[in-house]
Amino acid sequence: MRYLIYFLQKQYIYFLFLALEVISVLLLFNNNDYQNSAVTYVSKGVAGSVLNLSNNVSEYFSLRRVNRILAEDNAKLHSNRSEAFYKADTESFYHNDTLYKLEYRYISAKVINNSTNKRNNFLMLNKGHRQGLENHMGVIMGDRIVGQVVSVSDHFCWVMSLLNKDSRISGKFKKNNQLVNIEWGGGNYQVGAVKEIPKHVVIHKGDTVITSGNSDIFPEGLLIGTIENFTITQEENFNYATIRFSTDFNSLSFVEVLIDILRKEKTDLKNSFKNSEQ
Amino acid sequence: MTIIFLKNIGRFVFLILFQVLILNNIQFSGYINPYFYIYFILLLPFETPRWLLLLSAFLLGISLDAFTNTLGLNAAACVLMAFVRPFVITAISTGTEFMIGHSPSLKNQGVKWFAYYSIILVLVHHFALFYLEIFRFTEFFQTLLRVLLSSFFTLIIVFIAEYLTYPTKK
Repeated sequence: MRYLIYFLQKQYIYFLFLALEVISVLLLFNNNDYQNSAVTYVSKGVAGSVLNLSNNVSEYFSLRRVNRILAEDNAKLHSNRSEAFYKADTESFYHNDTLYKLEYRYISAKVINNSTNKRNNFLMLNKGHRQGLENHMGVIMGDRIVGQVVSVSDHFCWVMSLLNKDSRISGKFKKNNQLVNIEWGGGNYQVGAVKEIPKHVVIHKGDTVITSGNSDIFPEGLLIGTIENFTITQEENFNYATIRFSTDFNSLSFVEVLIDILRKEKTDLKNSFKNSEQ
Repeated sequence: MTIIFLKNIGRFVFLILFQVLILNNIQFSGYINPYFYIYFILLLPFETPRWLLLLSAFLLGISLDAFTNTLGLNAAACVLMAFVRPFVITAISTGTEFMIGHSPSLKNQGVKWFAYYSIILVLVHHFALFYLEIFRFTEFFQTLLRVLLSSFFTLIIVFIAEYLTYPTKK
């Protein structure tokens, strides 16, 4: 026993080193399990308020651009109002409200921290539990996708942007509804990779890729980007393409978080289906 | 003693804020992101006990992680760097440069010594950081390029900081 203590005393620095490394690596790879632990809760609060403070200054520099985007969105919404349509036949504008049920609610949030230069990028927003945010909610800007919420505290949340190695978006070609997967391979933040395009799909430069609506996170039809380049492979069963994102990730300042009102119903249905299969 | 202590705490806070508020927002290209905050570990005094070296490095890393939602990533890289630091110092010192009560610096140890010292430690940190971040071998050379370019820029900032704080003799 005495020798053991002596040994520990002599070599304690190695044990300390190993202990700290093990703690770090555990934190890193179990990030999701510790999401709501006290440590992350405090750190999120402190980091959130510092970043919020700095953003209060820097947001003035982007006001001009934000204004332009707002004006564009306004114009788009105006053109969708019934007043904008020419009434050819009075009967044709009969609007049955029971046909429509609200599916998504949008919450506007300010981006208080953002990065595009890492391999795994996250955004911090100034909305959290108090505003009804939860994990796995989609985040968009206008009609373009941004990412999904991965961790929430009382007043803030972290969003995993599309620019992350764990991010996989299910998309489809707008022209023929062929499903593809979109990922980001690092490097240039404007360009991503489209994987597993079936051989029979004819690709052109400039083809639009939109969300498929197959995942629970984004509704159908949000813009992802346009095809920039493609390679036709001979040996493999799939072709590959690079995509230019429609979202400018480096200049995000205000985004919207999608709250799916029917989400519980969807997941319940999915779970009951899974249970009945077993 | 207390002055050295307070000085280092001040440096800690300043470097974290500088990294989070300024350097993390700089967009050179997808490949370059300097991590200047490790300057703190480079500048800790020679006679810092090794346990304190490891613990302060861990604190430094975990504080930065809180700001970037990568809990554990920077901490792991910093602890490794702090662990290696004493070995690097004994390996490259000939004995004459070593002074009690001083921090490693360009002025006291000379350009050559400080260059070896900072290049080795910055590379150790950046290697650990970028490969832990990606954690797969499919993008090996792409990551290597990021390590080398980012280390280069970190080192440039370290040397600029050294020259800026170079005390002028009267």
